[in-house]
Amino acid sequence: MGKKTVIHIQDLFFSYEENPVLQQLDFSIQEGDLLALVGPNGSGKTTLLKILLGILSPKAGRVLLDNKPLQSYAPKERAKHIAYVSQQPALNFPLTAFELVALGRYPHSGRFKAAKPDAAAVNEALKLTETIHLRERKFSTLSGGEKQKVLISRALAQSARILLLDEPTLHLDLYHQIQILKILKELCVERSAIVVAVLHELNLVSLYADKVAMLRRGIIHAFGPVREVLNETNIKEVFGVAMAAREESESGARYFIPRDRLA
Amino acid sequence: MKRILLGWIVISCSLLIAFILALSIGPVWISFLDMSETDKLILFSLRLPRSLSAFFVGGGLALAGAIFQGLFRNPLADSYLLGISSGASLGAAAAIVLGLASPLANFTAVSLFSFLGALSALCLVFYFGRKNGEFSVFRLLLAGLGVGLFFSSIVAVFLLMAQEELKALLFFFLGGFATSSWDTTWVSLACVPIGVLVACTFARELNVLLLGEETATSSGVRAGRIQALYAILAAFLTSVSVSLAGLIGFVGLIVPHIIRIIFGADHRTLFPLTFFAGGVFLVLCDTIARIVMEPSELPVGIVTSLVGVPLFLYLLCKETSDYGL
Repeated sequence: MGKKTVIHIQDLFFSYEENPVLQQLDFSIQEGDLLALVGPNGSGKTTLLKILLGILSPKAGRVLLDNKPLQSYAPKERAKHIAYVSQQPALNFPLTAFELVALGRYPHSGRFKAAKPDAAAVNEALKLTETIHLRERKFSTLSGGEKQKVLISRALAQSARILLLDEPTLHLDLYHQIQILKILKELCVERSAIVVAVLHELNLVSLYADKVAMLRRGIIHAFGPVREVLNETNIKEVFGVAMAAREESESGARYFIPRDRLA
Repeated sequence: MKRILLGWIVISCSLLIAFILALSIGPVWISFLDMSETDKLILFSLRLPRSLSAFFVGGGLALAGAIFQGLFRNPLADSYLLGISSGASLGAAAAIVLGLASPLANFTAVSLFSFLGALSALCLVFYFGRKNGEFSVFRLLLAGLGVGLFFSSIVAVFLLMAQEELKALLFFFLGGFATSSWDTTWVSLACVPIGVLVACTFARELNVLLLGEETATSSGVRAGRIQALYAILAAFLTSVSVSLAGLIGFVGLIVPHIIRIIFGADHRTLFPLTFFAGGVFLVLCDTIARIVMEPSELPVGIVTSLVGVPLFLYLLCKETSDYGL
C-alpha cells in the first residue's frame, strides 16, 4: 500500500471523573482514509473526536500526529493540521456564508495581516462544496443541507489535511446526505485528505467509507476496512439489532436491512 | 466596505450634532459664538463634563452589550437584562452604606466595589445560565433576570435603612447624570477607551467563537481565555458606567442590535461603531431627560427604557423563532 500513517492512537484511555469512557484504543489512520466512527449513542464516538481535536486530553496513552504528541502542538499549529465540523450550531447573528467560511482562515492570519490571499482561499473552499453562489447570503436563511455544506467549507478553508465531522448528515434529506459524503470522499481520493466522521447511516457508511471503527461502551469492537468490519455479526453485537446483509448484484455493493422486515 | 465608511461618516456627524445640542440646550440657551462668563461656567463645568460622561457611559454600556451578545451568542443579552448592572449597583451601594467609600470623596473606591459587584453577578449568571455546558437563550435571560431582581432588592433594603446616604443610593436606583462633574467624569475618560481598545484587539477571536467553543478551539482559538477576558471586560465597562450614572437599561440592547442589522455581525467593525453610536444615543437621551420636564429632570434610564422596551418586545416577537425560544 505504502500510504503514510498520519495519526497513531496508542493505548488510549479516557474517563469523565470515575467513569471510563474510552479504553484500550489502539489504531492508526493513513492519508486518504475516510474513517467512519460507528456505534450506539453514548459509546464514546464524540469523546474520541474531541480527543483527536485536542479539546480533551487523554488520561492515559497518547495520540500522535506525524509522530509527535498531539498535545505538543500549539493551538494554531494544530488547527493547520486538523479541522472540525461540529453538529450544526445555532447561529443567531447575521453572518454571510462568505464571512462564516472566512472564520476558518483564523489560524493562517495574523492580527494585522492583510486579508487579500484569504479571500481566494475562502472562495476555493466554497467552490469545493458547490456553495459559491451562496456566498453573499445570510447563513441563517440557508436550508439545512446548504448550511452543512457551508460549515464544511469553513473547515476546508482552514487548509487542514485532517477533517473531523460529528454526524455531518444529521437532519439532512437523502440528496444532501449523499452529496455531503461524495464531497468528503472526493477530498480523500483527490487530495489525500483524512476524513473521520461520526455516522449513523450504515448503508452510506458501507458505500462511502474506507475504514470503520465500531465502538461499543468505549471500546473498539472492530476496526478495519469496511468490507471486513461492517457485517451482520458485528452489527448485532454492537447495536443489538439483527440486520441482514444483501449484495447488489452488479456493483457488489453491500447494504443492510432489518431482519424482521424480511418476509 | 463602502457601507462601513458611510456608517462612520454618519456617526461622526451625529456625534457633532449631539454634542452641539447637549451643550447649548437647557434652562440657559448658550450660543457658542457669543458667550458670557456665566455661559462659559455652565458650559465648561456643568454641561461639558456631563455630556462627556453621558457619551462614555453610553458607549461603554453599548459595547458591554455587544460583548455579552457575542460571548453568549445571544442577541438579547445585555448588562441590564443579565443582572450585571444590578450587581454593579449593589457593589457601589454596599460600599456607601457600610461606610467604606463616599460617592464624592472617594469615587475610585465606589467604582472598585461596583466592579466587584458586577463580577459576582457575572459568576452567578455563568453558573445558573449554563446547562450541559451550553448557554440557552432562555435560561440565560431567566438567570439574569433572577440575579438582577435579587441584587436590586438588596439595594432597596439598603435604601430603606439608609439615612444620610439616601440621596447617593437613590441615584444608583434611578440613574442619570445630574451630579456629573469633572471629579467623576475623568474615570470614564480614562477607563472606557482602554476597554474599547481591548475589545477591538481580540474581536477576531470572538468572531470565531460565534460558531461555538469547540469549533473555535479546533480553529486554534484559546476559547477559555478569550471568554474570560471578554466577560471581565464587559463587567468592567458595566461597573464604570453604573458607578458614574446608576442603572441605565437597554442601551446595550438596542444600539448593538441596530448596528448589527446595518453593518453585519463582524465584531471588528461592530465594536467601534457600537461604542460611538451608544455614546451619541445616550448624549441625546440625556438632553431629552434634561429638558422635557423643566425645571425638574427625568432620570435618563426612564428615557432609554421608554425607547428600549418597545424595541425589546418587538425583537422578542420577531426573532424568537430563529433563536429557538
